Amino acid sequence: MKQSSVVDLLLLLLAIALLATPAFSDLVLSKVERRIDVTSQIARVTKTLKVVNSGSESVSEFALTFPKFLGNNLAYLSVAPSEGKGKSKRTLVNLSVREADQKGLPDSISVYSVALPKPLSKGDTLTLEVVAAFTNVLQPFPEKITQGEIHLVMLQESAQYLSPYAVESQSLSIKLPNARIESYTKFENTKLQGSELKYGPYKNLQSYSYSPIVVHFESKAAFAVAEKLVREIEVSHWGNVQVTENYNVVHRGAQLKGEFSRLDFQARPNPRGASAFRHLLARLPPRAHSIYYRDDIGNISTSEMKSDSKKTELLIEPRFPLFGGWKTFFTIGYGLPLTDFLFASEGKRFLNISFGSPILDLVTEKLIVQVVLPEGSKDISVTTPFAVKQSQEIKYSHLDIAGRPVVVLEKNNVVPDHNQHIQVYYKFSNINLLSEPLMLISGFFILFITCIIYTRADISISKSSPSYLAKLQWDEVLATLQEVQSIVQKCLATHDKLEASLRDLSRTGDIQTCKAARKSTDSLLKDLSKELKPLLGFLQSFPSASHISPKVEELVVKEKELQEKLMAKHTTVVEGYEKKSSGRDIENRIASQQQKIIALRQEIEDLLEFIDEI
Amino acid sequence: MAAKPIASPIPVALYPTLSVFTLAIGLVITAIFFIVEHLPFKGWQVLGDMIRFVKVIYEATSSRKNRSVGKELATSAVASVFLGFGSLFLLLASGVYV
Repeated sequence: MKQSSVVDLLLLLLAIALLATPAFSDLVLSKVERRIDVTSQIARVTKTLKVVNSGSESVSEFALTFPKFLGNNLAYLSVAPSEGKGKSKRTLVNLSVREADQKGLPDSISVYSVALPKPLSKGDTLTLEVVAAFTNVLQPFPEKITQGEIHLVMLQESAQYLSPYAVESQSLSIKLPNARIESYTKFENTKLQGSELKYGPYKNLQSYSYSPIVVHFESKAAFAVAEKLVREIEVSHWGNVQVTENYNVVHRGAQLKGEFSRLDFQARPNPRGASAFRHLLARLPPRAHSIYYRDDIGNISTSEMKSDSKKTELLIEPRFPLFGGWKTFFTIGYGLPLTDFLFASEGKRFLNISFGSPILDLVTEKLIVQVVLPEGSKDISVTTPFAVKQSQEIKYSHLDIAGRPVVVLEKNNVVPDHNQHIQVYYKFSNINLLSEPLMLISGFFILFITCIIYTRADISISKSSPSYLAKLQWDEVLATLQEVQSIVQKCLATHDKLEASLRDLSRTGDIQTCKAARKSTDSLLKDLSKELKPLLGFLQSFPSASHISPKVEELVVKEKELQEKLMAKHTTVVEGYEKKSSGRDIENRIASQQQKIIALRQEIEDLLEFIDEI
Repeated sequence: MAAKPIASPIPVALYPTLSVFTLAIGLVITAIFFIVEHLPFKGWQVLGDMIRFVKVIYEATSSRKNRSVGKELATSAVASVFLGFGSLFLLLASGVYV
């Protein structure tokens, strides 16, 4: 790597020497301030460029250049104009940036073209704020370390700003982590203040000035890189947005050389595991619920969650500390309330959710975001603040027929700066919501229909076999028995009614009502016994019911007997009342009848029970 | 361009309660369907007086020969509506957002 950058450098110098007339316009950078933050694994460069048009023609494009070895690792680039002063200018819209063709520039330079908000006419000035994030530019050096060694990395840059334009004044400051600094390239105006390294200011630089610098320092940051991250965002209109994230994390710092001693690590983690990281912090949206953290083995219990109204913080600890080159795999999942992320606007619905991983300072080499929309969504479109590769898929999940449309967004080299909101627009009718319950309902209904058909279906193979015929006959016997049973039950209920009328009589002394009740029960019982007769005959005609019919006959006889007794009792009581004899007298007279009635009733109930058990 | 947040048709917090009630009703109706209509001789002892009460309603039609398809279909339709919604709410309450 070091060698290749040296080659790059030579090429660059050659190019600068050979460069005859720059194809760029007469812009001049009156002031350039560059700040490079290397406290994490990402080199984040912030530049403030004051652009002056010194030429005669108005200019509408601005070229940003990086040395190729940086340009190749550029993960994020945003350019915003800032006209006012002070910090209140962040709301400005980002300008469109595209990778420009080389226009005769050497291969060792990457060029990006920025479209200016309005053409810059002669003598006008414009201040641009550039944020660029680079991955893999902090090279571990040495490339392999043992467990006890500290983690040293190296940054290569240029002290002078590489630009196709002349620069009047420029300065560079590098914010290093608060740790050891092994070495840095020293020029006359280089200053090290605490952990901040300053180069410049340099005055009146020609275009394509370049003076390479190398800073070698200790980094305690977690070099956590997700080789592949698949985020699945599933929208359910029943009230949930489910996010599932599958991580393949690797430590991209200096590789661990030699053996790993767990004992040393546990006993003195600071010197004996300085290059490892144990935790990752994920900042989830507020009101995230049902959070889980697991891998192929199962739940990983070493996680901690804190939440308040603004955010949910999940501190996850992999199963083992990660040293350089070590890998781990895990899954995080959480549910989010629908109202926070799904909105309706102009007849369409849109999901507004952040694109990248919620884990802080994580670089993702390959990020795949799958937005699973509910079944029946139409007219899907996606808005992203940066370019992503888009495709569509179908996913089959719970209670699906046609499958759910999935929007797949792919992007390589994703840094936390990409954690911006994306919008997925689609059309969805609420009627489609009913399809799931309808499916469940029809499922249950089919089950019931099957039962209905099954109990009615005649599935015997031989329709003439004696056993089949016997079964048919037996079914009829059972049906008849059931009818008999129900008629007897009705008779008993009528008896109860008669008894009740007697009780009423003793209470009110109203003989007429009692007589009327008697009349109605009489006719009812007559009807019932009429109904019973053909059934009895029917039952006797079956040979298979030969052991039952005597019992049934007995039942009918007993019932009749009971009826008679009851009638006799009723007549006695009513007569007694008519003659105005005393209550005690009546009771004495019916005492013997009453005993028989109770005995008969018991017998009938026993018989019914017997029939019931057939 | 006023974006209005979209909420679920039924508040999420109600799902567990709804699922318990709809499933309970659905299961009772299912019990009526099976016991009253298909097992007329057995089972009276099992469910006791409550079913005995229902039995009076269905008595005339409970024998195998003269069961009414209409009544059975009606019972099973009602039961499946309750069971369908009940199981949907159960899924939602347990975190399976269909």
